Amino acid sequence: MKDSVRTLVFASVLGLVCSVLLAAVNLYTAPFRKANEEAEEVLNIFSVLDIPVDSELDSLALLEVFEESVRVKDMGDMTLYENVLEFSAADEPLIVAVPFSGPGLWGPIKGVISLDPDFLTIRGISFYQQEETPGLGGEIGEEWFQKQFEGKEIVSAGGEPGFRILKPGGDTDSNSVDGISGATMTSERVQSIIDGLAKDLWKERSSYVQ
Amino acid sequence: MSSDVNQRKGIDTGFGGGKGRETLGDGVFKVNPITCQVLGICSALAVTSRLEKALVMGGALVFVLAMTGLIVSILRSYMPRRIRMITEVAIIATFVILFDQFLRAFYYDMSKQLGPYVALIITNCIVMGRAEAFATQNPPLLSMLDGVANGLGYAMILAIIAIFREIFGNGTLLGYPILTGTGIEKNLLFALAPGAFIAAGFLIWFLNTLNPPESTEDSP
Repeated sequence: MKDSVRTLVFASVLGLVCSVLLAAVNLYTAPFRKANEEAEEVLNIFSVLDIPVDSELDSLALLEVFEESVRVKDMGDMTLYENVLEFSAADEPLIVAVPFSGPGLWGPIKGVISLDPDFLTIRGISFYQQEETPGLGGEIGEEWFQKQFEGKEIVSAGGEPGFRILKPGGDTDSNSVDGISGATMTSERVQSIIDGLAKDLWKERSSYVQ
Repeated sequence: MSSDVNQRKGIDTGFGGGKGRETLGDGVFKVNPITCQVLGICSALAVTSRLEKALVMGGALVFVLAMTGLIVSILRSYMPRRIRMITEVAIIATFVILFDQFLRAFYYDMSKQLGPYVALIITNCIVMGRAEAFATQNPPLLSMLDGVANGLGYAMILAIIAIFREIFGNGTLLGYPILTGTGIEKNLLFALAPGAFIAAGFLIWFLNTLNPPESTEDSP
């Protein structure tokens, strides 16, 4: 009996000490970890907004640059990022970006898309978080795949909003790109994310572009 | 020599006093955790594609092993026998999480490159093995030294494998290009896990030829 009491006391004290220690460290590092995660997202927004950044900057400095160079707006359910460094004469941003996310094959896919101020033409796209099969679906993280989106539009030639990812080697048109061979499942999921995004953007376009 | 054999059996009898040098030498060379005991292989294969990753991982092991050795040894006479192992795991986990949080906060890039392998140190057999076999039976500072020695032994092997893999697999060393202009092409095999198996296998073969194990039955 005495033995079990001792065991219980030892276990409780050890558990308490360990948890207090870990909780303290967790509290102390929380702001740094948060800044790192935000900075990672911010870097992707910078890259699609064509904002050059010094790669030596630490996370907190990056977030400051973000404050100065990007204007954040709410747009329906979406968030809109405007590059305020290069405004046109009419005080219109020259490039805007919208983050998106959706389910991939193995885990969530997150990314940012950037558009011309006409809200029609895609300037660039970046998938910064994805867990697709390396070498197959994982290719969506590669430059050759993302480059295909540049200059495409979020509406078809017939004026229908949407976006398609075709079988590789097909004839792509103004709102479609080649998919990835051997990664049909990933291509389908990316298509549904981008297609939904294109339709949402089209809906908001009227309120944004006068 | 006899203490060497005893240590392998996990019944170390030495208590301080002149054992320091031997403890250090054992962990790094004689009973190196990777090449002699073939423990901790999973992470050794996973993080050795680049030297920088291997060094950080080695540093993590030195820290965790040293602190676990110290604390387990201090607590060794208070520790109820029935919950001995879970106590050790709790102590190990605490230090591993501390290190992981530190990396996440201040070396985010490295933390991302190492992925889950820092957290997986909790399940690394070397740490548990040293806590059980050494720290529960030796004084605190000697146990801490044993931890440092085993951590350094692990780090050394990781570094050797990583040097080969980074040069042949990636053409760089610590990120600086090495192979440019030599006409040697990057070998993808070394950049991927099978290359680590091959490199580790040759290294273990080489070291065991240089310094043959006294008896295979002594290995834990």
